[in-house]
Amino acid sequence: MSVLPHVPTDEVAGPLCAEVTRFAARSIDARAIDRAGAIPAGVLGGLAELGLFGLTLPAAHGGAGCGLLTACQVVAELARFDRSVAVTLGLHLGLGTRGLVAFGTSEQHERYLPSLAAGERLAAFATTEPQAGSDLSNLATRALEAADGSLVVNGRKVFVTNGGLAGLYTLAVATPGLGGRERGQSLVLVERGDAGLTVEAEECKLGLKGSSTTGLVLEDVRLPSSRLLGEPGWAAKGLAHILSWGRTLMSAGCVGTARAALDKVHGQVAHRRQFGKPLAALEVVREQVALLEALTFGMAALVDEVARADDEALLGRSLAAKVYSSESAWRVVDGAIQLHGGLGFIEDTGLAVMLRDVRVTRIFEGANDVLLSHLGAGELTRTKERAPLTGAVGLPLAGLATKADALAAQVEARRQELLARYKVGVFRQPRWMHQLGGACCWREAVDAAVRRAAVSARPEDVARASLLTLRASAEVSRLLEEPAPRDLVEVALSDTLPFPEVRP
Amino acid sequence: MSPDTSVERRVIHIISQLVPVKPEAIKPHHRLREDLGMDSVASMELLSMLAEELELDVGVEDVADVHTVAATVALAEAFLAKKKVA
Repeated sequence: MSVLPHVPTDEVAGPLCAEVTRFAARSIDARAIDRAGAIPAGVLGGLAELGLFGLTLPAAHGGAGCGLLTACQVVAELARFDRSVAVTLGLHLGLGTRGLVAFGTSEQHERYLPSLAAGERLAAFATTEPQAGSDLSNLATRALEAADGSLVVNGRKVFVTNGGLAGLYTLAVATPGLGGRERGQSLVLVERGDAGLTVEAEECKLGLKGSSTTGLVLEDVRLPSSRLLGEPGWAAKGLAHILSWGRTLMSAGCVGTARAALDKVHGQVAHRRQFGKPLAALEVVREQVALLEALTFGMAALVDEVARADDEALLGRSLAAKVYSSESAWRVVDGAIQLHGGLGFIEDTGLAVMLRDVRVTRIFEGANDVLLSHLGAGELTRTKERAPLTGAVGLPLAGLATKADALAAQVEARRQELLARYKVGVFRQPRWMHQLGGACCWREAVDAAVRRAAVSARPEDVARASLLTLRASAEVSRLLEEPAPRDLVEVALSDTLPFPEVRP
Repeated sequence: MSPDTSVERRVIHIISQLVPVKPEAIKPHHRLREDLGMDSVASMELLSMLAEELELDVGVEDVADVHTVAATVALAEAFLAKKKVA
């Protein structure tokens, strides 16, 4: 099982993004897409003409052969104009085609990649089921091997992004017995025209209305064994890689959404007057705007680092990028609405659609609550030490590096305390794992922001990294030192509060 | 390790509480993640529950290389023996 190396493509990303910006400014109308509940065919055609559907697909099969970093930059840029468009492309490049590119056979590449690269066929990815959301170990959709060696798939997938548009689906299914694994899972490729596959009606959603979301019903779908993707019965490793791409691209979309919200904030505070002054002249407003900029700076820095990471680092760091970016984008858009006052609540302002669109990012690609537990568990079992920033960045940022190291030391002290106090029993302390996971997200964002400021050396970037570090220190202290009071937990979990009966 | 020890039965019982697999289908050679579908948190929770049930003083560093049912049983038996000596 080989994973293609990430191709360094910094040199093409700049001009490409400029072209994407020109196209998006001319052709993408977020409010119209939101109202229509669909992306116009002309927009998808324009993305195809720009070659974006083949961006990360191998050049030998019609793609551009770019890496995750370039894809993130393009998705972030598209998200500035409309999140549904960004999600449609990001899903195609990440979850939709990454498994095929990384683990597909040469026959599979030849059969599918040219049309996928050209945008003639879109890709989707389906794991979630009615009874299994973030829990991939409990898949009910099964592919059983028939006597002739083919696979017969039965089951149902829900919330499939690009479901209604796609021509090719990568499905995670249980394959009991396949590859000698009694409880194995595999990835299979299902084509839109396969007999027994029904694409259900579009879901009516809170946001991302232009993005297609459907269910898939599979009734005795018979697939030749050549549709297996990767090693039979061994989906876990492939899934981890595919999901880390998906999470990183989704995080990049959050960067774009936050930038779009900030663009609106800048216009608002420069022109809107209150108490005889432009809003931008009010200290409390400046402080709020600066904080939103700092959060966004941290998102961009973290996503940029994660997208450049090797595969091993990508697996762990993409979790932190996903949680931090989705939570921060939500804060930034909410803060932007607040700074617009009543105008922020009006559809024409364009922030309402951003808020609706960004809400799901805290849920899909792994619900943040679940990912925080994984982050906490990963931190508790971590064997590699964090490299200190002090000494690693230049003198002008030495003070900032010291603060970032102090924040990391605070997280490390809590980690050591938990390990000493609970030993292996710490894994039965979900609240502590959550808190530690949350603190790790702030640490990762701060580290990335300080490194990015050190490289750019622009005073405004140093100021943003500094503000982010101050804010993160306060957040980490709150997280680690002020757990929910014991009294509150006892009341919340007591029998006196009515709660639905738990059925086994 | 002798087959079907009481420790093995307890380990299998705990696993069956964490993943939707019947106890009789869980075998010593099964890998916690790949064969039983436990994610990183669930496999650590198993070791945590076992340490609590058997009152074992197990540190996180002790469980880093435990990846199968048999290795889980061996770990528990080693710590039980250590407890007996103490």
